[in-house]
Amino acid sequence: MQRRYRTIADLKQHESALAIAVTDPALAGKLTAMGVLPGTLIELVRPAPFGNAFYIKVDGIRLALREEEAACILLEL
Amino acid sequence: MSDSGKPLKIALLGNPNSGKSTVFNQLTGLRQKTGNFPGVTVDVKEGRLRFPSGLEARLIDLPGTYSLYPTSSDEKIVTAVLTNPADPFYPDALVYIADVTHLDKHMLLFTQLLDLGLPLLLALNMSDSAAEQGIKVNTARLVAQFRIPVISISGRTGENIQKLLHELEKLIRNEPDASAGSEMVFYPLREQEKQVVDAVRHNLPIGNAYCALLLAHHHGWLPFLKKQERETLSAIVETKDFQSLRAQVDETLDRYDRFTPIVRKTIQQPFVSGGTATDHIDAVLTHRLFGPLIFFGVMLMVFMAIFFGYDTTGGWVENATGVLVDAVGNNMTDNWFSSLLVKGVLPGLQGVLVFVPQIALLFLLISILEEVGYMARAVFIFDKTMRRFGMNGRSIVALIGGGACAVPAIMGTRTISNWKERLITVMVTPFISCSARIPVYLVLIPVALPLSTWWTKALIFGGMYFFGLGAALGAAYVFKKILRTSDPSFLALELPEYRMPHWKNVWLTVWEKVKAFVAGAGKIIFMISIALWILGNSGPEGALDNAESRVRTEMSGSLTPEELNDRVAAKRLEASYAGIIGKGIEPAIRPLGYDWKIGIALLSSFAAREVFNGTMYTIYSLESVGAREEVEASNQRPFERYGRLRRQMTDDRFENGDRVYTLATGISLLVFYALAMQCMSTLAVVRRETGNWKWPIFQFLFMSGLAYFFAWLVYTLLPKV
Ligand SMILES: Nc1nc2c(ncn2[C@@H]2O[C@H](COP(=O)(O)OP(=O)(O)OP(=O)(O)O)[C@@H](O)[C@H]2O)c(=O)[nH]1
Repeated sequence: MQRRYRTIADLKQHESALAIAVTDPALAGKLTAMGVLPGTLIELVRPAPFGNAFYIKVDGIRLALREEEAACILLEL
Repeated sequence: MSDSGKPLKIALLGNPNSGKSTVFNQLTGLRQKTGNFPGVTVDVKEGRLRFPSGLEARLIDLPGTYSLYPTSSDEKIVTAVLTNPADPFYPDALVYIADVTHLDKHMLLFTQLLDLGLPLLLALNMSDSAAEQGIKVNTARLVAQFRIPVISISGRTGENIQKLLHELEKLIRNEPDASAGSEMVFYPLREQEKQVVDAVRHNLPIGNAYCALLLAHHHGWLPFLKKQERETLSAIVETKDFQSLRAQVDETLDRYDRFTPIVRKTIQQPFVSGGTATDHIDAVLTHRLFGPLIFFGVMLMVFMAIFFGYDTTGGWVENATGVLVDAVGNNMTDNWFSSLLVKGVLPGLQGVLVFVPQIALLFLLISILEEVGYMARAVFIFDKTMRRFGMNGRSIVALIGGGACAVPAIMGTRTISNWKERLITVMVTPFISCSARIPVYLVLIPVALPLSTWWTKALIFGGMYFFGLGAALGAAYVFKKILRTSDPSFLALELPEYRMPHWKNVWLTVWEKVKAFVAGAGKIIFMISIALWILGNSGPEGALDNAESRVRTEMSGSLTPEELNDRVAAKRLEASYAGIIGKGIEPAIRPLGYDWKIGIALLSSFAAREVFNGTMYTIYSLESVGAREEVEASNQRPFERYGRLRRQMTDDRFENGDRVYTLATGISLLVFYALAMQCMSTLAVVRRETGNWKWPIFQFLFMSGLAYFFAWLVYTLLPKV
């Protein structure tokens, strides 16, 4: 089946996409409080030097997220 | 409100990086202290506020958090204080600090506080940056919307800080009307939430609706709830089938939907294209290759600065205290009191003061790294590495800080929300070579390798840091395999914009940490020196005098008067209680290559390792800080200092005539001091941070056991030359 969304891991460096949902309820509380909301534009700035984390930009805010944290943010195709 | 006579309490709140600490420093300056937080065992900063009218209040700096739904233990403090009117820090009024350049992200907690119904003032911080970026703010609109005072301020330039005080005083002088503050003013409760709130208010004496809702959300961990209250809340949550996590997210999103349009109408932001300075800097500092390289370069520079800094400042302090000791020694008649002062108290004092420049320099460099925003990048880069060792990226901040002093470094681990990651960080941070180990290394390295070149010694000194780091990571890896937890683990970290350091913040941090060190470790070192002096100068009835007269009759004639005095002092020490204790443990430490004198130093070092040098001076009966030697010493390079102490040590022999300080003994001692848990302050802080004595006792045993084993191993393997 074709996926109807992407995640940050699918973005190329400096590519942006609109967030449509934040799934995992435990992480969603934290991420939404930090400003990662459905409807915001998310840019992948760069992956971490040793991998496993991403440097992203959301509405002018810069965040470091782990792969698992990033994975629960669903992005528009 | 101020009738009760007790000073009013005002709490500062805000998101991380809102500039809260900066505003706190502006408002209180040096009138601040870090107090112990009862119950939760956490420190909050408190300062005194003086209003223009002369009225005084207590200003409480609560940890930065994004919302009242916390994940880490420092964020939990905020919720625990604000939902408990009986809490000693429960405020009479709140000041909310928001970064006006990111107002759309800083309003969530603000609207939650609005609903809590406490008198609230909104301070829009960073007005200087806003002006620079051409951001226009319509504060009148916010005032009209929320019906609370709103002020644009700058923590950096001090703009409007007086006005803030003025408005705050007006706010707290206002008598609130009794009905205000119990219902939600911003967020309309959903049907289910309403039912939960009603049930909570029906069963518990809670006035405010949002407070009731928060109790329902957090009844599992809020520390002040009684068992029965917890059960009541738990029953309510169950019968209403209240899904806390889901409700939190829904509430958060709903709040955003409500305040985002308000912020849009308040803020006018010019469109900016292209990257900002921070983007350009991060392209290098978080670069896949340059990022880690620059990090190691920065660390290398920090520790080089420490090493060479010690070179200069260590000499100054020794000179200054040496002059003091000479002055005291020459101007006082020779009695027990002057002896206590010159041989007990002052060396102890020197033991404390020698570190002050070191500690200050390290904290200065570390707080600059934090203040400019670099630490968050280090966390980002090394999260993966740290996780491999069972820790969190945030642990790197503790490990770096541990190079100065483990105590504040361990307190800083509160930002780690996962219990296991935090515990491992707390357990291994003391392996990092702290500044208290520097003078010990500087004495022992040349004793172990008297003939090597300066550079070899410097390399070994640097190697000690790697050894400590290796021990920390190795132990962490073992803990990772053993410990289990189901706590969620987060990185989710905001990377703040790079800013020039605000020097007032930096100086205040350094001042506060140095003060805490001198007061905390200082007290212990001071007491140990006195205890040691007493033990070294008393013994079983007549034993000391007998020892003295025996030496005098046996040795008279064969020694110069000075040598004779040294010999007498040594024999007296051997006969004293300290000597008896040392001899008592000698069998246990003989396998590591140590004699009873080292035994005494080891024992006293368990309170604080920096006592080592002072103890050695006392044991070898030198006026430890005699100005004569130390003036000469100040012109010497690090490994040439402590010359007389080292000469005495090198000449020392076991009963059977073998030299005590061989290569094997020297390295064995170095290893022991690198690994052993010899710091009561650290154990006390671990007790506070982990909540019981189990962990500090375990930490003490495993670190010291490891130290014993490795010291024995190197002593056995290395040549005794
Ligand atoms: N330009 C500008 N910078 C500010 C202002 N207030 C604070 N800063 C800077 O913002 C950064 C964060 O300030 P802090 O006071 O440490 O922020 P905080 O909210 O206490 O953050 P945490 O310590 O992470 O909780 C520092 O680099 C400050 O120098 C301000 O009014 N204007």
